[in-house]
Amino acid sequence: MMRLSRSILILAAGGAVLAPLCALGHGAEFLSAKLTLLPDAEVLLEITADYGSNPLIMDETAALEALADPMRLRQHETLVPLATLGTATISQHHNWAEYAPAAYLPSETEDEAHALITSSWRWRSAEPEIVFEMPKGKLHDVLLWTHDVTQPDTPPKWMLLLAGDRSRPIPIQQTPWWRSWMAAAGAGSLALLGVYFVSRNFTLRQRTL
Amino acid sequence: MSNRILSLLSVMALASTAAAEVAYEFVPNFITPPPGKETIGDGHGEIAVDSSGNIYVSVQDKDPALAGLQVYSKDGKFIKTLPLPPSLHGFVIRKLGDGEHIYGAVLGEQKVIKCNLDGTLVMEIPTSAFPAEQRDFVSVTKSDEADPKKKTSIASGIRIADSKTEITLKLANGTEKKIAKEKGVSAAGGLKLTNCDVAPNGDIYVVDGYGRSFIFVFSADGKFKSVFGGPDKPLALANAHKIFIDTRFEPARVMICDRGHKRMLHTDLAGNFIGEIATEMRNPSSASFHGDLMCVAEIAGNVSVWDKANKRVADLGTSPQMTNTPGIEPKDWHQGIVTSPHGISFDNDGNILETEWNKWGRVLRWNVKR
Repeated sequence: MMRLSRSILILAAGGAVLAPLCALGHGAEFLSAKLTLLPDAEVLLEITADYGSNPLIMDETAALEALADPMRLRQHETLVPLATLGTATISQHHNWAEYAPAAYLPSETEDEAHALITSSWRWRSAEPEIVFEMPKGKLHDVLLWTHDVTQPDTPPKWMLLLAGDRSRPIPIQQTPWWRSWMAAAGAGSLALLGVYFVSRNFTLRQRTL
Repeated sequence: MSNRILSLLSVMALASTAAAEVAYEFVPNFITPPPGKETIGDGHGEIAVDSSGNIYVSVQDKDPALAGLQVYSKDGKFIKTLPLPPSLHGFVIRKLGDGEHIYGAVLGEQKVIKCNLDGTLVMEIPTSAFPAEQRDFVSVTKSDEADPKKKTSIASGIRIADSKTEITLKLANGTEKKIAKEKGVSAAGGLKLTNCDVAPNGDIYVVDGYGRSFIFVFSADGKFKSVFGGPDKPLALANAHKIFIDTRFEPARVMICDRGHKRMLHTDLAGNFIGEIATEMRNPSSASFHGDLMCVAEIAGNVSVWDKANKRVADLGTSPQMTNTPGIEPKDWHQGIVTSPHGISFDNDGNILETEWNKWGRVLRWNVKR
């Protein structure tokens, strides 16, 4: 609320206004990795860095650097950088509440000047479970938390990964077996119908001739 | 003769082993919160013990009845709250030639205070006493007109002038850069002081732990003397959360909780690197000394005890999973298991008191087994 009123004041003043230098720190000394498990084995990973109140991330450049290779995906015995999953989508915002679990939101008494950058990756997992790992020597801890869209009321599960840590295996939303069977049956039926109509047209034309 | 020497050496070895062995037992529900309160209030501070055994805990709660420096008796009963700034993020109690005082870093006001044990102010080191190179270091950004949430970095440097129309920075390469104060331009940075301690000669050491991790040295009367540390080599600190004067050694050393790098290290009093004490910790946040021992609050969920040879001799209250949050509610607390340790102190008998980064406020205690 205070930040909102301050923002209004800044806007009302117009022109250039220097933000106060009194952020109290200790807002989020970690990267928040929100893992959303979507149907059909789709995975959305949104990793957020705060360069407004994280003493380890002083500015936007440092935030983008931290998000370039924040953690790796373990596939069998190899650690795969997230960059190999596709190009990340980058966005800037101030919405911590959507990108960190409630237990990790800053205290009400800490009037933080958050400046957030979120890097998002979306991919379809070929594995039934996914495991993340933090290579040794990484400066930024990662708060990994899961958000299951099929069970929105379930409190999120979270784990803090420090350098060298590995997450527990996270089961993903596999496509149910009957859906692939139904899809195959549907495609087969359509093909049969197509063949039927083509052959019927052919027969009718021959009769007309 | 040689047998006597061997016997003596054996006895000495056994004695040193015995000295190294240390054990603690958890004391459930040690602290009694202020009357009418279930918990002590929003904690993001420190805990310390005076020479008579009273316990001091800094609390930043919005409730004025809780905010300030709470004082408890030896047995954990609430006595009073000293009306000190609620953002007393780090403080120590030291008894020197001029008596016993509280020295604290006020995070919300970027100053250092020295008080009597009743809370009366004796001395203040204001923001203006810090060198401009660190105090006025800012990053200037500009918000996107279409999307004000999107900011672009313009430059970082020491703010040497600031008028209605422009801000002038001195850049790292020594050149000056003038930045017009267009709509959306803002600057952020400056000091974020997190702790201080006092050397045997009275010099006051202050750390900018939520800023750029510089360590400032002031004389006993608050005059700036020198600065070391910071993000660059040789120390290359990151979130040097708290520092302490380690008087277990002669001459005394500076012990730095280099939390971002998950390590603790020693420098001499001039800031020269001596060595790492430990690495790969659960983010060391605070420490205290008693005899040859040092106890450490690790904010990602552990309390550890170390001997003078940098050997870990005990782990207490270890959380089964890593933590670093103020948001774990009392219903989810477990006896003897820490959430996010933020401040720590030995009492005068070698027992350990720990305070946590927690919106409701929490203090745990382990007694040393004799």
